[in-house]
Amino acid sequence: MPTASVKTQDPQPPPTSVLSLSIPVAMGYVPLGMVFGFLFVQAGAAWWLALLTSVFVYAGAAQFMMIPMLGLGLPVASIALATLVVNLRHVFYGLSLLDKLPAKPWARWYLVFALTDETYSVLTILPSGTSTGQMVALALLNQGWWVLGTLLGALIGTQAQVPLVGLDFALAALFAVLAVEQWRSADSSAALWVALLSYAAAQAVLPQQALLIAIALSVLVGLFWPPSAPKEVAP
Amino acid sequence: MIDTTYALGVLAAMAIVTFGLRALPFLAARWLQSHPLVQRLGRFLPLAIMALLLLHTLVGSARQNPTGPWAELVAVATVLALQWWRRQALLSILAGTALYVLLRNPGLLT
Repeated sequence: MPTASVKTQDPQPPPTSVLSLSIPVAMGYVPLGMVFGFLFVQAGAAWWLALLTSVFVYAGAAQFMMIPMLGLGLPVASIALATLVVNLRHVFYGLSLLDKLPAKPWARWYLVFALTDETYSVLTILPSGTSTGQMVALALLNQGWWVLGTLLGALIGTQAQVPLVGLDFALAALFAVLAVEQWRSADSSAALWVALLSYAAAQAVLPQQALLIAIALSVLVGLFWPPSAPKEVAP
Repeated sequence: MIDTTYALGVLAAMAIVTFGLRALPFLAARWLQSHPLVQRLGRFLPLAIMALLLLHTLVGSARQNPTGPWAELVAVATVLALQWWRRQALLSILAGTALYVLLRNPGLLT
């Protein structure tokens, strides 16, 4: 059973789909987590701090950003501000998951905590009947890969040599697959064109923050885009 | 050597900020759910965000690739075409990644 087609046809996906959805995430998270753990220890921090970061912060880009800032001994407040900017896009992720996340508090709040780019992406293509347990299992597996990679990178340190360049392309491939599936289920491809134009504009204006700016632009356009029902709604 | 107490403070601040951002829409859920604009966004955003994550990841890989963006373009075209045609997520991802690794490690073939 192809993972992606589960979405529209099968209200009760087989348990294997959680693992198979998590495999591409693992291919990106384990090597990237290793790089994070390795660099973190190289910067002069204890290995268990790297592990704690991946358990409690769990935000890829922000974690990489914190390494040089920690090394420079910047004030906590300025690192917090940088984290706010780097992770601002996550505010928008919850918007499309409001109805989808389980109501059980522990499950809901763990999933909210674990809402990385990749986990958000795979959660959006799960069928609406997916059980709470499966959603939590998927999020836990994903974080598990990240923590495992961090631990390996921090412990093995200098001896960790990834023999191949490019294994982390699996994450790009995952996003490509999910984009195709979202495209199939969208009522129009307008969002795709808006995204492309927003990204081009953001790259031209402020390449360092291209993703955040492009998401913000897409949100703005999305707010005013004529929906399938042509009824005008005042904001 | 980085001071452990300082690092723990940074870690706690980052954890709180990150969780706060992810939780914000859910804290305001009751208000947001009744809002038609939010429902409109819920239909519009997933495709836009997925396309943006894909673009941004590709641009990131291409910048680290000294031989130019060709490997990224060929590999992502393969994934998109395979997924469109066969709809087997794992197949598309594995084939695209394998192709990309081959393109980036030319020594593998000799």
